[in-house]
Amino acid sequence: MEGESGDITVASGNRKCSAVTGSARKIKDNAADWHNLMLKWEKLNEDGFNIAANIVNIRLSQRNQQEPVDESSSPPSSYSPSSPPSDAAGGAAELRDECCKLQDIIDKMVVVVTKMERLMTSQQGIQDLEEFQFGPEGRKFPLFHTWNTNQFELSSGVLWEAFSQELKLKQTVLQELAHTSTSDLCMVYLSCWLHQPFIPNQTRLTLEALLLETGHRPL
Amino acid sequence: MSKPALSSLHQALRKSFKTLENNQTVWKSVLAECSPLMVSLGNLAEQSRALSNVQISNTPLRDFPDLEDRLRFKLLQATDTVLGKLNEKMSSLQSVRDAISNQVSAVVQLFEQNTDSLDVLAVTERSATTPSIADMLEWLQDAERHYRQQYLLFGFVLGWVCVMLGVYCFSSTGVFRFLRRKTLLQTLRPDNISLLESAPKRWKSLESPSAEDCITDTLCKVSFFMESQ
Repeated sequence: MEGESGDITVASGNRKCSAVTGSARKIKDNAADWHNLMLKWEKLNEDGFNIAANIVNIRLSQRNQQEPVDESSSPPSSYSPSSPPSDAAGGAAELRDECCKLQDIIDKMVVVVTKMERLMTSQQGIQDLEEFQFGPEGRKFPLFHTWNTNQFELSSGVLWEAFSQELKLKQTVLQELAHTSTSDLCMVYLSCWLHQPFIPNQTRLTLEALLLETGHRPL
Repeated sequence: MSKPALSSLHQALRKSFKTLENNQTVWKSVLAECSPLMVSLGNLAEQSRALSNVQISNTPLRDFPDLEDRLRFKLLQATDTVLGKLNEKMSSLQSVRDAISNQVSAVVQLFEQNTDSLDVLAVTERSATTPSIADMLEWLQDAERHYRQQYLLFGFVLGWVCVMLGVYCFSSTGVFRFLRRKTLLQTLRPDNISLLESAPKRWKSLESPSAEDCITDTLCKVSFFMESQ
């Protein structure tokens, strides 16, 4: 109801983004939320990478310790049997701590992606509302510069798709990282975490396009 | 008669040493910026090798069918960025080399134009504060040669790294598969990626501190001369 009156004023010429209301307001806020959520994700990703690298280091040093111990179990050594168990126990506790921290990061990432999903749903809602108001053709004049409402929905979808897939990958990495014994696979997990293969560079462009269209970035 | 020629030659020499001094600082700082880039290049090579060694379909990552391609693409992209930055550094080194070369060839040319008016005594005469013209010209030419050779060497290594990366990256996609029969590429098989990982060390070993020290030495020897007007 409020949206309707707002839509009309916006569409009829008030293109100044400072006073937008209704659908335009909602879309603009969503774009800002996208930006903030992606920033938050980046931060989490960075923190998570450091933790993941720690896990791999602990894991590899444990393995390096264990291997010589296994081989040298037959030759007599008075001090080595006493030191490795305590070291291993310390390492295990440390490993558990780091894994908990990483779990924490993943939990926060889940929250971020859930919020992203809500943004996408809200964008779908706006699209449905527009269809209801203006019919299947949509509104005659764009809300901002050139995009129609459908394009906002599409780009939200693209962004969400990328992040939810990346989250799944990270969850797999979390489950496997501390149980991996081959250094190559550890390296692959780490580079997966760092390079985020499911978030292509286009997502950044999509976000920038969204910000540019909604007037967060000056043209 | 030789007085004006001598003083203009001295002036040109002073200017050359000044150029040398400034550019030596630039050269050193550019080289210092290259080292971390070479390290990240080595890291990326290591990651690529790990990815090739792992059969993704036998790991828990098998649920992500296009993961390998995507990750490889990301690694390539990152490598590309680093190579781009290294390329910029190479252009900085090139401009240092050119600045020194131009300055030195100008002063040598000036000397050659004035050989008639300068006798052996004038060229070899030196004092406590002013080295002889012959010595100074020699030092300048030594420095110029040093930077020219270093630049060539770095360029060669960077080119070699690019070839290795290219062979490595494309051999897995099949583009190079038919070319690999050629002898040159046979020596550059992708398992040589371990050589790439050592690129940072190799790069470091190319820097020749002794030659660089020689140039600093030279600059010390001419410091009084540069201050005198």
